[in-house]
Amino acid sequence: MRGWRSVLAPLGAIGIALVALGLLLLLLGADPLRALGALMGGAFGDRNALENTLLRMCPLLLVGLGVALAFRCGVWNIGGEGQLYLGALAASALATRVLPDAPALLLLPLVVLGGALAGALWGGIAAALRVGRGVSEVLSTILLNFVALLLVAYAVHGPLQEASGAYPQSDLFPLAAQLGLLPGTGRVHSGLVLALLLPAALWFGLFRTAAGLRLRAVGLAPEAARYAGIRPERELVRVLLISGGLAGLAGALEVSGVTGRLFENLSSGYGFTAIAVALLARLHPLGVLPAAAFFAALSTGSGAMQRVAAVPAVTVQLLEALVILISASFALPRRTD
Amino acid sequence: MTQVALRNVYKRFAATEALRGANLELEPAEIHALLGENGAGKSTLVRVLYGLVEPDRGEVRIDDEPVSITSPHHALALGIGLVHQHFMGVPALSVAENLMLGQHGSLARRHAAACELLERYQLGLDPDRPAGELAVAEQQRLEIVRALGRDVKLLILDEPTAVLAPSEVELLLAWLSGLREEGRTVLLISHKLTEVSSLCDRVTVLRHGLNVITREVAGLDAAQLGRFMLGEAPPPPGQPPQTQPGQVALRLEAVRAQGLSGIELELRSGEILALGGIDGNGQGPLEQVLAGVRTLHSGSIELLCPPLALLSGERERTGLVLELAIEENLALPQAAHRHGFLSPRALRGSALDMLQRFGIRARPELPARVLSGGNQQKLCVARALCGGPGVLVAVNPTRGLDVAGTALVREEIRSLTASGCAVLLISTDLDEVLELGNRIAVFFRGALLPLDPAHHDRAEIGRLMLGEGAA
Repeated sequence: MRGWRSVLAPLGAIGIALVALGLLLLLLGADPLRALGALMGGAFGDRNALENTLLRMCPLLLVGLGVALAFRCGVWNIGGEGQLYLGALAASALATRVLPDAPALLLLPLVVLGGALAGALWGGIAAALRVGRGVSEVLSTILLNFVALLLVAYAVHGPLQEASGAYPQSDLFPLAAQLGLLPGTGRVHSGLVLALLLPAALWFGLFRTAAGLRLRAVGLAPEAARYAGIRPERELVRVLLISGGLAGLAGALEVSGVTGRLFENLSSGYGFTAIAVALLARLHPLGVLPAAAFFAALSTGSGAMQRVAAVPAVTVQLLEALVILISASFALPRRTD
Repeated sequence: MTQVALRNVYKRFAATEALRGANLELEPAEIHALLGENGAGKSTLVRVLYGLVEPDRGEVRIDDEPVSITSPHHALALGIGLVHQHFMGVPALSVAENLMLGQHGSLARRHAAACELLERYQLGLDPDRPAGELAVAEQQRLEIVRALGRDVKLLILDEPTAVLAPSEVELLLAWLSGLREEGRTVLLISHKLTEVSSLCDRVTVLRHGLNVITREVAGLDAAQLGRFMLGEAPPPPGQPPQTQPGQVALRLEAVRAQGLSGIELELRSGEILALGGIDGNGQGPLEQVLAGVRTLHSGSIELLCPPLALLSGERERTGLVLELAIEENLALPQAAHRHGFLSPRALRGSALDMLQRFGIRARPELPARVLSGGNQQKLCVARALCGGPGVLVAVNPTRGLDVAGTALVREEIRSLTASGCAVLLISTDLDEVLELGNRIAVFFRGALLPLDPAHHDRAEIGRLMLGEGAA
C-alpha cells in the first residue's frame, strides 16, 4: 500500500495541477486540450523536440538526485544552482586553460571529474559552516549560489574570456574535451547514459548499503541515529559532498556536452527546478527519473504551446508552480504517524 | 447517584484494541483506584474522560446526562480535571501565574485569587517563586491546586506517586483524603497496590481493555489485587545475579556537567550497578554524558571494555527510527561502524531470530512505528543486548512493559551480566533497582549517594532519595 501511495501521490499532484491549469486556460479564453496537445507535441512530437527534452532532463536528473539524497538525510541543500555553475566553471577552466593540451584520452575524464569535485567543494563549504559554526545549510547554500554566479561572471569577463575578447564567454572546448554524441542523435551527448544509470546506482546505495541506512536514519531521527552509534555530522558532510558533486557533474556535462563553452545564464535555473523534481519524486532515486523527464518536457513544450495555441508560455511556469505546491503539500513522505 | 459513568467503551488504535467494552462508574466524594498493567487501557480510558480521545463506541454520562467530551477545555467546563505525572505548567512563570494560567481578570485580581487558593490548600509555597525552581513534589501539588482552582468535581491523577519518595507519597495521600472530605471525587491511576489498599474506597481493575472487577477496597489485600490485574499470581521477584565482578569496564572520575555535580563510579565486568533516585536528580544528564551529547565541564570518562551499548530512557526521541523497518532498526548499530552492502536476506534472518527471542510478534519489514509501545521498548532492549556490548547502560529498561515482558528483560540483563558484561542500570523503579543491583547508589541533586551493602532495603533507599544521609 505504501508503494502504491508513493507512485499515485505524485501522479495525483500532476493531475490536479493539470486540471487547475485547464480551468485557468478556459478563463483565458483558450482551448485547454489544444494547448496541452501543443505542449506534448513540443516536448515529444518529433525527433528534435525529443532530443531537446532529453538534453534538459540530464541536468535536472543529476541535480535532482543530489537534492533527493540531501533531503533524505535532513540536509536542505538549496544550492544546486551554484554547485552546478561551479562544476561548469571548473570544467571550463580545465578544458580551456589548465589542461587543453593533455592527452585526449585523459582530458575528458579529467574535465568531467574536475567539475564534479568543484561542485562537491561548493557543497563542502556549506557542510563545514554547518558543522563548524552551526550555520544553517539552507542559508549558506542559497547565498553560495550568488557567489558562484558572480565567480562565473568574473571568469568569463576575465581570466577565462575567449581569446578574441568579443563576448563574455570562454573559448570553445577543444574537441577532446567535448562529449561525443550518442549514435543516431543530432545533439544528445553521451553523458546522458551516465545520468540514466545513476538513479539505479543511488537506489542501491541508499537501500542496500550500510552508508545508505545511516543516511536515512539520520534524516528521519537524528538523535535516535546518534544513540545507535551513528555520527550525524559525518553523514551531513558526506551527503553535501555527494549532492554538490552530482550538481557539479551536471554543470560539467552542460559545458562539455551541450554548449561547448562557459557563459553566464548557462543554466536557466536547473538547480532550482531540481528541487521540485526531487519533491515530486518523493525523494526516491528511481522517481527522480520520471520527475526530471516531466519538468524537462514542460520547459521544452511551453514554447510550442505559445506558438500553436496562442497561450502565453508563462502559464507553464504556473503549472510548474502548481505541481510543486501540490506535491510539496501532500506528496512529500510524511515523517510521523 | 453516580457522578460519572463510562459504559461499554470501545477504542481501537491501528492494530491494537485499547478498550473492548470497558466500564467505569464513579460516585461523589470517593477515592477510586484504577488499576491495571501497562497496556491494559487505563490511560486510554482516562483520555476519553478528559476529551483527548474520542471513543469508537460507548457512552459517557455525567450526573446521568449523556455527554460527548470533545476537548480538555470541555472536560474542565464539565468539572473534570487531569493532573499529569510531570509538570505541565510554565517553569519560568511564578507559582501564582501558573495557577491562574488561562483565566481571565486583571493581574491584581488573579494574583489575589492565586494567593487565596494557596492559602486554602496550605501549600506553603511562595506565590512569586518561579515554578521551575520547585521540587518535583511541590510542582505536583501546584498542578493539583491548579486543577482545583478550576473548581473540578472529579480530579484524575495519573500515577502521581511514581515521581515521589516514600515519605512524600504519604503526604500526598493524606492530602487526597482531605479532598474527599470536601466532597470531590478522585480517580487515582496507580501501580502500587499498597497505596490502593490503604487510601481508596473502591477500585476498578482493567485487563486487556476490559474491566475485570469494580468493588470496595475493604477486605481486599495486595495479593488479591495483583491476581485481578494479571489473571494469575504475580511472579516472585528475582534476585541480583550471582557473579564474580571482574576487571573495571567503565570508570567515571569527578564528572561535572550541567546537572551533574561530581559523579564518581567504577563499574566492573559481570556486575550490575543500579542507580536509583527520584527522576530529575541527574539521571538524564548522566545518560547524555555517557552518550556523548552533553559536554563535560570537568572530570573523565574511561571506557575500558568497549563497545558501550546505550538503552536510552527517552525512547520517543532517542530510541528507534520509527519510519525505518524493524529489521533496519536492529541493524543500525552495525551499520554505524562499517561500510559495504547490507544483504536483505541476512537482515531479515537476524531480525527474525531477535523478534522470536524477545517474543515480539511482527513482520520485520514493517516500520517500527506499527509496534505497540511495549514492543518498541523490547526492540530497543533486543538491539542493545545483541551487539555483544562490553558495557550496557540501561535507563528504565522495563518502562512500558507488562509483567511478562519485564521479567523477560530482567532475565536477559542478568544473563548478559553472567556472560561478563558490565551493566549500569539507571532506574526510577525501586523494585527494579533492588531486584537487579549487585551494588546500589542513589541519585540526589546531581550526585550519587552509595548505599551500604548491608542495608539493601526500601527504607534506606527512600532516605537517600531525599538526601538524608548525604555527607
